[in-house]
This record gives sequence, structure tokens and C-alpha cells, in this order.
Amino acid sequence: MEGPLIDTLVRQGVSRRTFMKYCATLASMMALPPSAGLAMAEAMASARRPSVIWLPFQECTGCTESITRSHSPTLEGMIFDVISLDYQETLMAAAGFQAEEARHQAMKENAGKYLLIVDGSIPLGQDGVFSCTAGRTNLETLKEAAAGAAAIVAMGSCASFGGIPRANPNPTGAVSVSDIIKDKPIVNIPGCPPIPTVMTGVLAHYLTFGKLPELDGKGRPKAFYGETIHDRCYRRPFYDQGKFAKTFDDEGARQGWCLFELGCKGPVTYNACATVKWNGGTSWPVESGHGCLGCSEPDFWDAGGFYKALSMPADPLKIAATAAVVGAAVGVGVSFANRAKKASAKSAHETTTLADLEK
Amino acid sequence: MSLDAIPIHVIDSPPPEAGLTGNAPPLLHELAEQVRRLLDSGETSAIDLGALPLTPADLDWLRTGLGAGEIAVTLNANGESTLSETASPGIWWVTHRNEKGVVTAEFIEVAFVPELVKAHPQDVKIGLERLELLISDLS
Repeated sequence: MEGPLIDTLVRQGVSRRTFMKYCATLASMMALPPSAGLAMAEAMASARRPSVIWLPFQECTGCTESITRSHSPTLEGMIFDVISLDYQETLMAAAGFQAEEARHQAMKENAGKYLLIVDGSIPLGQDGVFSCTAGRTNLETLKEAAAGAAAIVAMGSCASFGGIPRANPNPTGAVSVSDIIKDKPIVNIPGCPPIPTVMTGVLAHYLTFGKLPELDGKGRPKAFYGETIHDRCYRRPFYDQGKFAKTFDDEGARQGWCLFELGCKGPVTYNACATVKWNGGTSWPVESGHGCLGCSEPDFWDAGGFYKALSMPADPLKIAATAAVVGAAVGVGVSFANRAKKASAKSAHETTTLADLEK
Repeated sequence: MSLDAIPIHVIDSPPPEAGLTGNAPPLLHELAEQVRRLLDSGETSAIDLGALPLTPADLDWLRTGLGAGEIAVTLNANGESTLSETASPGIWWVTHRNEKGVVTAEFIEVAFVPELVKAHPQDVKIGLERLELLISDLS
């Protein structure tokens, strides 16, 4: 299966015009000038298949699910098919020594040229014993694979920022790829999981221009993470008009008003959900009536409650500290009361309110 | 399944008020400049409508203003795409849709013929091979 990408695509029944159309759409989505679509089509059509090694570490396989379930048979899926995915524990047929052998061979043959994709965080606690493959810690495997990589893609929030494994109290000592590897170009594609199109967009950019796209301060491609969910949200006009849903079933919710007061993290979350959407462009969380969780931001899990409005104090530790000053007994009392309410709601099958959902 | 199939409807939806932002009229000046460039040097250009803060009302205004020309090309590739000439020859309104009919990208292209319509020499070559095969079958 060697040869230019376009040949492989043609063999799969993808016409050149389909491919050009895809590139035009992709360029538009990446906020590149319209002329870039054509350049992209030309460069990608003649691109050779890059060798890709994918290392899954402390992860839930959600990122892999997101990519491989990207509504096949889309072009995203096909382009993903035509890259030479030489190692991916979840998808590869080989197992055990054969699998490890395939990885070593790919690393040797494409030394300095392969693209390394990492999903999952890397545990450093207790010498990294929390996550091992073939008897070696993730730390060892990552360092070895990174040495010969042309560039590294940190797929998902765990590889980008530590993600859920790193959530307080971080029992495994989980860290991100960029915490360990300092001498290679790294692109973070955070999200829990990330949008498949973003992944292919980065890959397309790499194939077209031979380098990673422009990144922001957190190592994310600006093309997709350049603006907040809030700025691109179709419910934004309601925010500007001060029209907010107060509960999930009130008049405001039915009218599709802004979900800010229900804890939407859109204003502080940089991602492309509002424009690219999910499930093949069908919908996205806010369109389904639920606020953004902020899953593509560092430490989103510890941001102080998914249903607390951003205008409320976010850091639970700070709240506790304030409570201690004002009167610790009151704070503890409230927390006990909430817990009791939660328990009684459960036993009596009462409607759970927003306050019950909060910590 | 399309979103329309879900039986939830907005009650008392806001009236289809003007919704014009004033962002569309400047585009006409830009288009005029691009058409002049096309005539002078043959250089083609395009405006990505998805990248601009245009409301549906703005797009309608632009579309109505530019009018409909004589040619409309339909491309069936991974969903339907339409490339329609406007009342000003050389200005094309290009809409890409996916398999479900959702608009994935929208451009105004300034060109004698949009690049997407032209056949690629390599594809023409493949077409010729097919034709030759057809001819050889005749004898």
C-alpha cells in the first residue's frame, strides 16, 4: 500500500473532486484562506503514507472510540485508514511479543520520521508501576518512542494535561506528555474525547505543510482552539440579552436560552464543538440542552462542579477556607444537610434538583 | 436521522426580523475588486462565508443581491455541492453539503470556471483508458 495518498483513496472509490471538496471544507474549518484548500488537496494527494505509532497509556479508550467511530465511511475515517498505523494496542491484530516487535520495527525503519500519537496520562508515582505494557512502565515506553519521533500528538485531555487520572488527589502521580518530553514538537489535542475532525485536520496539516499547525499557549492548534465555545455558540445572543435558563426544564430551557447559570463552561473553554459539532455534524452538548463541561481545558474535573455557574466561586478549597473564617460549623452543617437531602431524595424518588447535583 | 425528526419545537419562536448586521455590503466592494483582478490578471479568489460573522439574514441579503446566473453545477461527491453562477458572470456561489444535506462550507468564488468543475488531467487520462477499452471491445 505504498504510493501517493490520492491513489489509495481512488482505489477506495473516492474521486478527486470528493477529495478536493473535503480539503476545501477542512481549510474552511481550520480558518485557513480559501486558497489553502487547493494547496492542501495538491500536497495531500501526493503525500506518502506516514508511519504512525499510537501509544495508549492511562486512558479509557474513549479517544480511540471517538476517532474510529467518526461516522464511517467518512473521508476522515479513510484518511485515518490510509496512514500506516504501525502500532495501536486496541486496534492491531497482533498481540504480545509480535505487537512489541511491530513497534520496534516501525521505530527502526522510520527513525526520525514517524508520528507518535499518545493518548492517556503517564503515572510517575511509585516508579510508574500503575500502568505498564509488556513489563515496562509508560514512562520508559514514551521516552523510547519519543526519541525517534518527528513530532508527537497528545490525543485527549489526559495526554495533553493529565486529564481525569490527574484529578485531585491524583493517586497515580499522573502527568501529561509535555511534562516529560521537552525536546520534540508536541501538539495537544485536548477534549474528553477530542473531536475526530480536529485529529484529521492536524494530520492533514502535517501532511500538507510538513509541520505541525500554529499552536496556542497551551500547545493546542489555534485553528480549532482559537476561540471559546461561548464566542461561537448559537445561544450567545441570549447571553447578551440576559436571557438565561434557570433549571433544565423551565421556560428558558425550552426556549433555548443561554445555559450560563446552569454551569456552562463555554466562556472559558477553547474548542471547536460549536462549529464542527459532533456525530457527523448532528449536534453538540449545548444544542442538546446541557452546558459545556469544559473538557478540553486543563483540570476541568476539579473546576468546582459542572452545574455551578462560572460567576460562583470555583475553587472548592477556597470556599472551604472562607467557610472556616466565617464559621466552620455553618459550612459543615450545610454539607451534611445536602448529603442528607440527597439520601432522602434517593429513597423517596424525589425529583433531584440542581443543588443536589452539586458537590 | 435528522434533527427535524425529533419532535421538539420552539414555542413562540422569535419573528423573522431583519437580523441584518451590516457586515454583508462591504463584501460587494471586495467582490468588485476581485472581479477586476480576474479580468486584469486572471487571478482567481474566494471568500469563505463560514469565516465571517454573517447571520442567515445577511447571507439571504447577499444571495438576493447577487442574483442567479445562467449556469448551476451540481456535484455529487460525498454529499451534494452546488456551484451556481450569480447574475454577475465570474462570481460563483458555492455550497458544500455532506451526505445528510447539512451545509459544511460555503464560499463565493471569483473565477471564469471554479477549479472543482474542471477535470484533472490525470482523471482525463484514466477516462481515456476506459474509452479505449470500450473501443477495443467493439472489434
